[in-house]
Amino acid sequence: MLRIATPIALLATLLFAFAQPVAAQATKYHEAPALADQVKAGKLPPVEQRLPEQPLVVPVVEKIGEYGGVWRRAFLGPADANNYVRVAYDGLFRFTPDGAEIEPKIAAGAKSSADYKEWTILLRKGARWSDGAPFTADDIVFWYKDVLLNKDLTSSLPSWVRNADGTAAKVEKLDDYTVRFTYDRPATLFLSEAANQDGSDMSYAMFLPAHYLKKFHPAYTPKEEVDRLAQAASFKAWNELFLARATPAQNPERPTMAAWMPVTRVSDPVFTIRRNPYYIGVDKEGNQLPYIDEVRFTYFADQQALNLAAIAGDFDMQARHIQMTNYPVFKDQEKTGKYRVIVWPTFGGSDAVIALNTTYTADPAIGKLMATKDFRVALSYAINRDEIKESVFLGLGEARQAVPAPWHPYFPGKEWAAKYTEFDRDKANKMLDALGLTKRDGQGIRLMENGKAATIEISVVPAFGAWPDVAQLVAKDWEAVGIKTVVQIRERALHFNMRTANQLMAEIWNEDTTAFPFTGGAKFDVRNTLGTLTIGPLYSKWLTTGGKEGVEPIEPLKRVMQLIDTARSVGHDGQVQAAQELFRIWADNVFEIGTIGLTPMVQGVVVINSKFHNVPMTIGNDWPLRTPGNARTEQFFFSK
Amino acid sequence: MTRYIVQRLLLLPFLLLVYSFVIFVIIQAPPGDFLTAYVATLSASGTSISAEQVDALRHTYGLDQPFVVQYLYWLRNLLSGNLGISLEYQRPNAELIGAQLGLTVALAVMSFVLTWLIAVPAGIYSATHQRSVIDHVLTVINYVGVATPNFMLALILMWIAFAYFGISVTGLFSPDYADAPWSVARVVDLMKHIWLPAVVLGIAGTARLTRIMRANLLDELNKPYVVTARAKGLREWRLVLRYPVRLALNPLISTIGWYLPQLFSGSLIVATVMNLPNIGPLLLRALINQDMYLAGAILLIYSFLTIVGTLLSDIALAMMDPRIRMEA
Repeated sequence: MLRIATPIALLATLLFAFAQPVAAQATKYHEAPALADQVKAGKLPPVEQRLPEQPLVVPVVEKIGEYGGVWRRAFLGPADANNYVRVAYDGLFRFTPDGAEIEPKIAAGAKSSADYKEWTILLRKGARWSDGAPFTADDIVFWYKDVLLNKDLTSSLPSWVRNADGTAAKVEKLDDYTVRFTYDRPATLFLSEAANQDGSDMSYAMFLPAHYLKKFHPAYTPKEEVDRLAQAASFKAWNELFLARATPAQNPERPTMAAWMPVTRVSDPVFTIRRNPYYIGVDKEGNQLPYIDEVRFTYFADQQALNLAAIAGDFDMQARHIQMTNYPVFKDQEKTGKYRVIVWPTFGGSDAVIALNTTYTADPAIGKLMATKDFRVALSYAINRDEIKESVFLGLGEARQAVPAPWHPYFPGKEWAAKYTEFDRDKANKMLDALGLTKRDGQGIRLMENGKAATIEISVVPAFGAWPDVAQLVAKDWEAVGIKTVVQIRERALHFNMRTANQLMAEIWNEDTTAFPFTGGAKFDVRNTLGTLTIGPLYSKWLTTGGKEGVEPIEPLKRVMQLIDTARSVGHDGQVQAAQELFRIWADNVFEIGTIGLTPMVQGVVVINSKFHNVPMTIGNDWPLRTPGNARTEQFFFSK
Repeated sequence: MTRYIVQRLLLLPFLLLVYSFVIFVIIQAPPGDFLTAYVATLSASGTSISAEQVDALRHTYGLDQPFVVQYLYWLRNLLSGNLGISLEYQRPNAELIGAQLGLTVALAVMSFVLTWLIAVPAGIYSATHQRSVIDHVLTVINYVGVATPNFMLALILMWIAFAYFGISVTGLFSPDYADAPWSVARVVDLMKHIWLPAVVLGIAGTARLTRIMRANLLDELNKPYVVTARAKGLREWRLVLRYPVRLALNPLISTIGWYLPQLFSGSLIVATVMNLPNIGPLLLRALINQDMYLAGAILLIYSFLTIVGTLLSDIALAMMDPRIRMEA
């Protein structure tokens, strides 16, 4: 059973971290042989001087590891930079393996005022960037003053640093190792947001190597010089150059705090990251981490080719881009002894939901039906989920609506997870009859009030492999209750554009944000225009135009927005209450018709070299957790 | 002749200008832009990005500018000899294309040489031994070769290599040599890998070329000069190779200029399936991701080589066949 604590409950943990004495014997640290050689050669200071006064002590999963080895992985090119982000997970704070808590990583800890309006971050004394320069409060203040508040670099403020009135929260340096954030509102989700401020990301994290980046910033270097540098590198303007230089994956010179630092670029055929000699973490015996020398990401142009290489055993630990449909093949090849295969199910939700557009206007008759709750409920009853589970999900997972996993405190209860998921064709037919859809055409398709056959088009992107099959099965089930269903497989970008333009009737995607309904771009908030499922693209327009355009959100969705706003300023218990009510509303209104969930569909089939160790058997698996980053990748190791 | 060449060359910049506009329009034709595609890619790998982050990137990359402004910016760069920066790779396009060029050309030349080495003798043999058993066998192989899409062939060969020999034959290098500096060992490693894609790429061309060679030669073999030569006692092989084969090769040689753009483009689908690091997949990715400056740069070079290749073909033809020359 996982224990989930939200930031409030975490305070005790974090405060404890401040007071914690140095767990490892400060005088007796060990380091990788390669680094020891460099120290001997005088190229590197001794390990005691490279580590902070109080290093991060990382617990190991199985046992204390051995130094060495190259962790082979595969990636799909520069747009797949998150492959590396998930391995590096370069945050001041990070989620624990089960996704239940947030722990200090680069930072030493954090504490808030009683009203959560003030947050104080404490840094580790003596922590250093990968080039040996000290990491101090100035690196956070640089981000705040010169990046966040610079219009050329940040055109609109991220919501997590915004005050209630839309201005930026105040960030100030108290001393070299203490920074204070001051909001005009309670910021109870501060730590969850901070745990997603990732130094390896393509966008600016809340801490940047000021000493390195100043030479690309006009506030510190004459504008002509910065412009000249931009031009010399063929960039249009200095801000483009600054972003490229600040992104570690694109610039090996940029110092980092992560366990490994890039030595080639993500645009190279092999993207290599190598041990950071100044990494702040040790194991409990005082061995400086990481154990593994190098991670090599080999470029593959095609996911199928990548899977073929994975089946052949070319990678040491990888779940990303491994297709669940290949699971039986991997299981079969496991016999060769080259690797083992484990599964990490998704972190709640449902792995294929059919979202009906409740603001569809191109055909008002079908639009009206999709906006009717009983119509959606009838369609949910009409789906034979067992068939989908067996034929598409290899018998893994369970039938469920898009609510959190049972072990999560936000879980609203079994009856809501299973709501309307039983297969009952008669009930579906009766409900559709009751909606006045009693007349049928020659093929048995129900006629709508305008005399046309009721037709739904499901747009589907083969993103995680199996959705077109789910769509075909759903289409068959819906036609059996008299709703004509067309499956349209679309290219990704086109699908996304049609979604934003309100041209999609229905689509299949996964609902993977159920553990994080209040942070990031959660799909329950109709104000999020990006990444939102197509349950109603016109609602956000109504809200942004003050009711002049778009469609007014219906009552249950208004309540959901209220709940999200409340959760952002109440403590842990209040958040749990709000989340549970949110998911009761979500399941009851079937805004998304859930099918099967808790399968290893999304990066959940993990192929691990037999000599690769300290990988947890179970783990919270989701993007906000940076899986496998939350497995504490620095303690992974190879046995000889 | 010189005047004709100069005329064609003078037309070149104008044609390229027209092409640059058409290319830019077509690349921009799909809905959305680089960032829409980027967001879609992220979502499809279980990642989210906030609207503010996307806005910031769109502003940084100038994608919020009108179409004409973006085109003129690109054109201005082109005129000063700058192919621009790839949005996805964040590196100069010239550098990206340059990095792939060597292997692309090496692979194309290998499959080209292989094609000709097999096709010409096979065609000659088939024509001189018409309706023999070997001719029939070659004919069947040729038809299969022409009819099988070569990416299919690639998949089958890859599967056989894995299922029966336990090796994965993706890429042009073993993992150890993928990013190693050039050395003798690396070249040996390359040779170990390059033959398979070269065969796959060459096979369709070989089949087609063999058929053409066979048909051309059959036309020649029945001509009176062949009969005359034979009557005069010229030895058969000497006769065939010296006269009819030379004539039969003419149509093939006149199309040799068309290989120029092909050398550069790399085979798109085969290269993607076999995970070959060449320009084909680079272009495919750029188009899918709407990385317009990179796709534009590749397509523009491709257009340039097509124009030059056609010109070279015309010149070759004119040199060989006096009837085609402009002055005539």
